[in-house]
Amino acid sequence: MPQARLDRREHITGWAFIAPALILLGLFMIYPIVWSLWMSFQVGKGMNLSFGGLANIERLTKDAVFQRALGNTFIFFIVQVPIMIGLALLFAVALNDSTLRFRGLFRTAIFLPCVTSLIAYSTLFKSMFATNGVVKNALMTLHLTDGPIPWLTDPFWAKILIIIAITWRWTGYNMIFYLAALQNIDRSIYEAARIDGVPAWARFRYLTIPMLKPVILFTTVISTIGTLQLFDEVQNITQGGPSDATLTLSLYIYNLTFKFMPSFGYSATVSWVIVVLVGILSFIQFLIARDRRSA
Amino acid sequence: MSSVKLRGVRKAYGAHEVIKGVDLDVPSKQFVVFVGPSGCGKSTLLRMIAGLEHITAGDLEIGGERMNDVDPSKRGIAMVFQTYALYPHMTVRENMGFALRFAGVAKDQIARQVGDAARVLALEPLLDRYPKQLSGGQRQRVAIGRAIVRNPQVFLFDEPLSNLDAELRVHMRIEIARLHKELQTTIIYVTHDQVEAMTLADTIVVLRDGIIEQVGSPLDLYDDPANQFVAGFIGSPKMNFLAGTIVEKAANGVTVELTNHKGTRLTLPVSGGAMGEAVALGVRAEHFGEPGAGDSDISLRVDVAEHLGSTSYVYANAGGEALVIEREESRHEIGVDQISVSIAAAQAYLFDSAGKRIR
Ligand SMILES: Nc1ncnc2c1ncn2[C@@H]1O[C@H](COP(=O)(O)OP(=O)(O)OP(=O)(O)O)[C@@H](O)[C@H]1O
Ligand SMILES: [Mg+2]
Repeated sequence: MPQARLDRREHITGWAFIAPALILLGLFMIYPIVWSLWMSFQVGKGMNLSFGGLANIERLTKDAVFQRALGNTFIFFIVQVPIMIGLALLFAVALNDSTLRFRGLFRTAIFLPCVTSLIAYSTLFKSMFATNGVVKNALMTLHLTDGPIPWLTDPFWAKILIIIAITWRWTGYNMIFYLAALQNIDRSIYEAARIDGVPAWARFRYLTIPMLKPVILFTTVISTIGTLQLFDEVQNITQGGPSDATLTLSLYIYNLTFKFMPSFGYSATVSWVIVVLVGILSFIQFLIARDRRSA
Repeated sequence: MSSVKLRGVRKAYGAHEVIKGVDLDVPSKQFVVFVGPSGCGKSTLLRMIAGLEHITAGDLEIGGERMNDVDPSKRGIAMVFQTYALYPHMTVRENMGFALRFAGVAKDQIARQVGDAARVLALEPLLDRYPKQLSGGQRQRVAIGRAIVRNPQVFLFDEPLSNLDAELRVHMRIEIARLHKELQTTIIYVTHDQVEAMTLADTIVVLRDGIIEQVGSPLDLYDDPANQFVAGFIGSPKMNFLAGTIVEKAANGVTVELTNHKGTRLTLPVSGGAMGEAVALGVRAEHFGEPGAGDSDISLRVDVAEHLGSTSYVYANAGGEALVIEREESRHEIGVDQISVSIAAAQAYLFDSAGKRIR
């Protein structure tokens, strides 16, 4: 058989094999994505839609609630992601120390939150941080505060509460990545540094962090995406309140779609805002972390 | 340059004792090699000197100072690891200069020291490369360079050449010997390769199971092994051991009859041993002679012969006891399946059933 025909037949067989997966992917991923892009140019309420060109984008610029949600989301992103990444790194380094006792127990304890039920933990957080909850009692007993902190009713403290909640839930998840990466580092690298008199902080700063850079980048991007899509915690703990202080973009999309008179077109536009933001932020993070070697 | 002194040094992991009491003096400027089979505790002992492992009991002195609880960086040592342990994200230059930054050395001084070390090790063209862009031998040189820039009193090497191929190993071995001559530092070097030990060492320390079996110069160990273990470990190919029994004790020595060569007797100039005692007669492959040239002849069946040109190794046996014989000028023996060799009593060793040398 001539080579060309053989090649063609192999091609066809190959495509036939991946066709089912491709069709399913197309049906359930590509199609909705393209369709939501199309939707984002539609205006009108409910099923009563018509093409509106850039009207939705114009509406974004005038929508104070959207701007509030965007601002809140950014605050969560800028404050929470660095705190969580830093904590996860410190935990990972501490738990990687072979002289630490009960390592397995600590690892499990720190990882456990991210596999617990979301509703259960949200409900628990809500009751713990309620005006008369255990957190108030604990803080008062320790004389750290004089009166109850209005966790759920003050705009500032509500944001703090959400940040505490997502940090509690996701730090262990990130830590696992660092632990795995740390265990792949040749131990004698640290031993050599110790013998050569490199102090512990410098081993962390100049050896651990650069060697973990690819993993740190990965978790930062993942966490960025997660924070920009933040929904569950705010929906379950604060419902976006008080007075929209914890309203996030995702929660706003949900409200636009399911709570008020549905505005499918506009909510699709807001969701594309998230897509664009994730794209831009990830790109910036890749730029910052770019390897000097290949530069 | 500093001497290193160990007194009753022990190491236990839980109930499991790994180093079982080591006394050793490493004089200043000496090249000392620890050898021994895998798992005997060479690395552990070296890491205790480095301060990477806690010393369970005993004393360690470097340069006359007790160092048991001194931080590794304050012991005046530098260590080269088997895996090189280079910092993967730093260039050769940065790798070598990194630690100096924290010792308060000025920038231009660091550059000078790195430059000096690079010159000694011929690393100058590689200074701006990353470790992954280097060959195994080059990485090893960088690791040595990183140790040199700190001007240590004592160099510690843990099997630095075992990740290299045979040819490079010979080359680096010579490099390290040259370096020792040039730097005149004390070196403690771990290997399980006895050729490395023989060629590099001023003093060899043979370890087994956490205990020192013998300490001495390479030729001392070769000529005068204290026991059957050292005799078998030092020298290549390994020393042959022939089973025998002491059949006569007289003023001029002890006579042994070989178990697998009925009627063959040999009188060795030693005074130990008891009548009827089972012994092992040690003869090196290179010490068998032409028939009649020694004190007794034995004949053997040839299993395999390796002809390497100038020498050949004949693997032969008698009564199931396998021996290696080194022969020079042996072309006429190709295809032969029976040979006779002689043993000279002056070049044979006697060991008792516990492996101790009978003198
Ligand atoms: N952390 C540890 N816990 C328990 N036992 C250990 C530990 N490290 C080493 N050992 C044991 O100590 C003994 C000596 O180990 P060591 O690494 O010193 O051997 P070695 O002579 O360097 O061997 P090799 O030539 O294979 O490198 C071994 O039996 C090993 O199993
Ligand atoms: Mg070892």
